[in-house]
Amino acid sequence: MLQRLYIHNFKTFQNFELKFEGKHSSLLVGKNGAGKSSIAKALSVLQGIGRGVNRVGLLVKPQDFFAAQTSQPMRFEVEVRLQEKTYRYILVLELPEKFKELRVHEEKLECDGVPVYWREQAQVSLRKNQAADEGARFLVDWHLIALPLIQEQSLTDPVHIFKAWLAQMVIISPIPQLMFGESSEETLWPTATGNNMVDWLAGLLGQYPAAYTSISSYLQDVMPDLKDFRYENLGKDNKRLIVNFATESGTLPVNFEELSDGEKCFFLCSVIVAANKSYGPLLCFWDEPDNYLSLAEVGHFVLQLRRAFEQRGQIMMTTHNEEAIRKFSNENTWLIGRASHLEPTQLRLLDELNLGTDVIQSLMRGELYI
Amino acid sequence: MSVNVYRPHVLVLAEDDANRQIANGFLLDPNIKTRNIQVLPSVGGWGKVLESFVSDHVDKLRQYSSRHLVLLIDFDGRIDDRKRLFFDGFPDDVRDRVFLLGTSSEPEPLRADCGKSLEEIGKSLAEECFHKNSTLWLHPLLVHNSSERQRMTDNVSEIIF
Repeated sequence: MLQRLYIHNFKTFQNFELKFEGKHSSLLVGKNGAGKSSIAKALSVLQGIGRGVNRVGLLVKPQDFFAAQTSQPMRFEVEVRLQEKTYRYILVLELPEKFKELRVHEEKLECDGVPVYWREQAQVSLRKNQAADEGARFLVDWHLIALPLIQEQSLTDPVHIFKAWLAQMVIISPIPQLMFGESSEETLWPTATGNNMVDWLAGLLGQYPAAYTSISSYLQDVMPDLKDFRYENLGKDNKRLIVNFATESGTLPVNFEELSDGEKCFFLCSVIVAANKSYGPLLCFWDEPDNYLSLAEVGHFVLQLRRAFEQRGQIMMTTHNEEAIRKFSNENTWLIGRASHLEPTQLRLLDELNLGTDVIQSLMRGELYI
Repeated sequence: MSVNVYRPHVLVLAEDDANRQIANGFLLDPNIKTRNIQVLPSVGGWGKVLESFVSDHVDKLRQYSSRHLVLLIDFDGRIDDRKRLFFDGFPDDVRDRVFLLGTSSEPEPLRADCGKSLEEIGKSLAEECFHKNSTLWLHPLLVHNSSERQRMTDNVSEIIF
């Protein structure tokens, strides 16, 4: 469970802190430009590190500094509870004068308050094991992040556990038109647009075949005429996802990419739910899950996602859709906003605001301020 | 898929945002068949619930014989008056499919007294319904719902669980 996210001097954030306090699902609402999607971008930086991207310049650019304040460092902090232990990761980046690429100023990973490794500029100190105070020291290029470089000793190594959690984050803002039906590899790392959804599905089913039951059960709930789905081999390395629908005369096979945008989102949702069940707990950030869905479906869709993460994992959504907003409550809906493009993003739970009326009405009338 | 209007389903019409949030919590219970239940936008007052019931829902209840409707209101300390007012407004031919529930005053005192959020209250109420037991349902602010809850158990439980 992600417990705390702190972002400073990145995009729209200055001294920005998000504390989840055990929330399994939460919603971000606010005006355009408030910084909702920027939270996804901050999480993507961390996800990228987990997935092995270590070049700072590939993760953040000088233009990512808040209001071009390059003289101050950019800071990311994340606290997460995994397997009964609390992990804390700190990454501080800086852009010295006349530099074109940011570099690492400070980096640290702690597990239950004990440093796993810590770093100041190029010098990395690694605590070898809990019994030994003395650990290895080595130098790393200032423009490289150390976490992806540190050798994992085992599956129980804190570095492995934390990196795997970062890598498996699902940060998604799907574009169904980019979701094609052919798969050339298997993965457990979905992309932001969902364009590798069929690879993800293949990876999930390859490693966790029991996930099929969960996926098909979800899909049959939303598409009652769905019979089954399968991969059809196209050659040595490629396969195509075929979705079979039951008809009076038999079966109608449909290529995945011929499904509607909304139906592709049903598939994506079913895979997220099954992935969280199979290898979670996952942190999922879904930017506007109501996109592409019919009005009658939005509420059920959002609620299904909330229920799926209620037992394990966390999901955070953003929306401008009334029906999606109604499926959350004041205790788990954050109002996000900023006064102008020169002001940082701020955040308040609706519970902390004295709402005299229905939240939808207040949002429509522009009456909610942080 | 949205609720199937030709199969047994339940619509929930809440008086206000607080009741809507209790209903949200109810739907988070893992045993609920969420596809059979739909919480409608809150209407802003018990009077508007009654008004909406009469003007929008009676005809639809007649049109869709598998539809059930739960009206979620605040009794504002006037339980008998309000029950009489609503029950008198339920036409005989749909009466069996309409249910009236709510706190005897407002949800906020219940929240304060339980030390739970509104969603958590909803979750607890759903859990008790599923397990057919009563703890929170016997709270002084909720106990007046016992006869309606029994009617719901008899008529709606199999639809939503």
